[in-house]
Amino acid sequence: MSDPAHIVIERVSHEYRPARGRPVLALDNVSLSVQDREFLALLGPSGCGKSTLLYLVGGFLPVEQGRILVDERPIAGPGPDRGIVFQHFALFPWKTVIQNVLYGLEKQDLAREERLRRARQFIELVGLAGFEDSYPSQLSGGMKQRAAIARTLAIDPRVLLMDEPFGALDAQTRSLMQAELLGIWQRSRKTVIFVTHDVHEAVFLAERIAVMSARPGRIKEIVETHFDKDDPDLTRTREFVETVDHVWNLVRAEAIQAQRSGAA
Amino acid sequence: MALAALARRAGAIGSLVVLVVAWEAAARSGVVTPFLLPPLSVVLARVGEDAMSGELAINLGLTLYRALTGFAIAAVAGVALGILMTRRPLVRWFFDPIVSVGFPMPKIAFLPVFMLWLGLYDFSKISMAVFNAIFPVITATMAAAEGVDRQLVWSARSLGASERQLLREIILPAALPQILTGLQVALPISMIVMIVTEMLMGGQGLGGAMIAASRFADSPGVFAGIIEIALAGLCLVKAMTMLRRKLLRWHQEAQEPTTV
Repeated sequence: MSDPAHIVIERVSHEYRPARGRPVLALDNVSLSVQDREFLALLGPSGCGKSTLLYLVGGFLPVEQGRILVDERPIAGPGPDRGIVFQHFALFPWKTVIQNVLYGLEKQDLAREERLRRARQFIELVGLAGFEDSYPSQLSGGMKQRAAIARTLAIDPRVLLMDEPFGALDAQTRSLMQAELLGIWQRSRKTVIFVTHDVHEAVFLAERIAVMSARPGRIKEIVETHFDKDDPDLTRTREFVETVDHVWNLVRAEAIQAQRSGAA
Repeated sequence: MALAALARRAGAIGSLVVLVVAWEAAARSGVVTPFLLPPLSVVLARVGEDAMSGELAINLGLTLYRALTGFAIAAVAGVALGILMTRRPLVRWFFDPIVSVGFPMPKIAFLPVFMLWLGLYDFSKISMAVFNAIFPVITATMAAAEGVDRQLVWSARSLGASERQLLREIILPAALPQILTGLQVALPISMIVMIVTEMLMGGQGLGGAMIAASRFADSPGVFAGIIEIALAGLCLVKAMTMLRRKLLRWHQEAQEPTTV
């Protein structure tokens, strides 16, 4: 276990410069490292810069101050080694479910039959068998997110970046999807960075939770959890409830501050 | 019930039926002379004559050929220019003010200039249609390409798309609904402009034929032209709507009934 960390974030700051108005400091001197195959949650109030940090790791925004290394190399733009799932799915609406899943596979050097086989395999994995030829506009929110997850998993990225992926779903669907994601992660063992503002979700899913402060975003505390994720009664154990309490107390002060400054 | 469906269909075009009956009644009542308003039946008979003699096919064919050629050129050039303007700052710097001034301006005012510079034949007429129809295509394409959800682009990039592949694989399909809206505006414009241009430049074509009929005080000929133009326009707009529905089968609107 002496491997260097998979993702290293070093003294990263990020400023948004709107066309009009003053620049906004979204991230202030953030350092964090993520181990290979670790499930890390980035938790914080709305507007704390947690999504910005994720977009920087994804290579969608340029790293202007500090540096981010993946496998010891600085990132240069987006790439299929880091798959992303967005809150609002970002499925290609003009493509059917299977065409969406095939899109990333078509960029890889695979035979046609192999691409189709893998697309079907991942559609089945997320429980969308039978909906291969549906367009996203014909699916429910939960089904869209399943399709988006299948599309990302199909290209087998080593890192899974998730930007509040279950935030747009109803409570029942969300808890089902959380359990499924946990299962997928346990089987495929990818490095996951999971952005959320839901304390319960973070404690339930992650091995480590980086709690962020209100804007400008800093890492306030890192909470480690060592739960037996296979325990069906996990969420009722005292240890779990206490961890939720502890993390919630950390976040609450920040959420109140964020609300006061109008960021919520 | 087939009868109920038929009644609903008739109800939908009820206002047209009223108009048609009122026309025929007014023309036959003797209140107006047949010169001012020939009865619809006479006009329709004239449309039939034109169709039988082959004159309708020639005039309609010429007008459609010119209007649709102009529309097609405006569509291709307008989409290309709109995309270029969103991607090349220099192109945008040059064309943005021109489009801002040109879009709201009555471009038909350039007709004498086009006659002077380009003459009276097809080239001049088609150029006029292109000049008028291109503006809504450019503005729709620009707005559409700039409005593409950045997370779609990010998704594509992280799935392995190169910067070069984005335009064809993501930007254009994502912008298609709005681009088609621009084309749906441009199509009737090119038709209208072609009729007016033909009226003023003369020669064959529906507009030219109408002006010729008017010079010979041939009222049924003038009204026949109006009916022919209206039907041709209706067919074009319907065809465009069908094309839109076919191209946007994935879009939510395609799964709902539309009125146009």
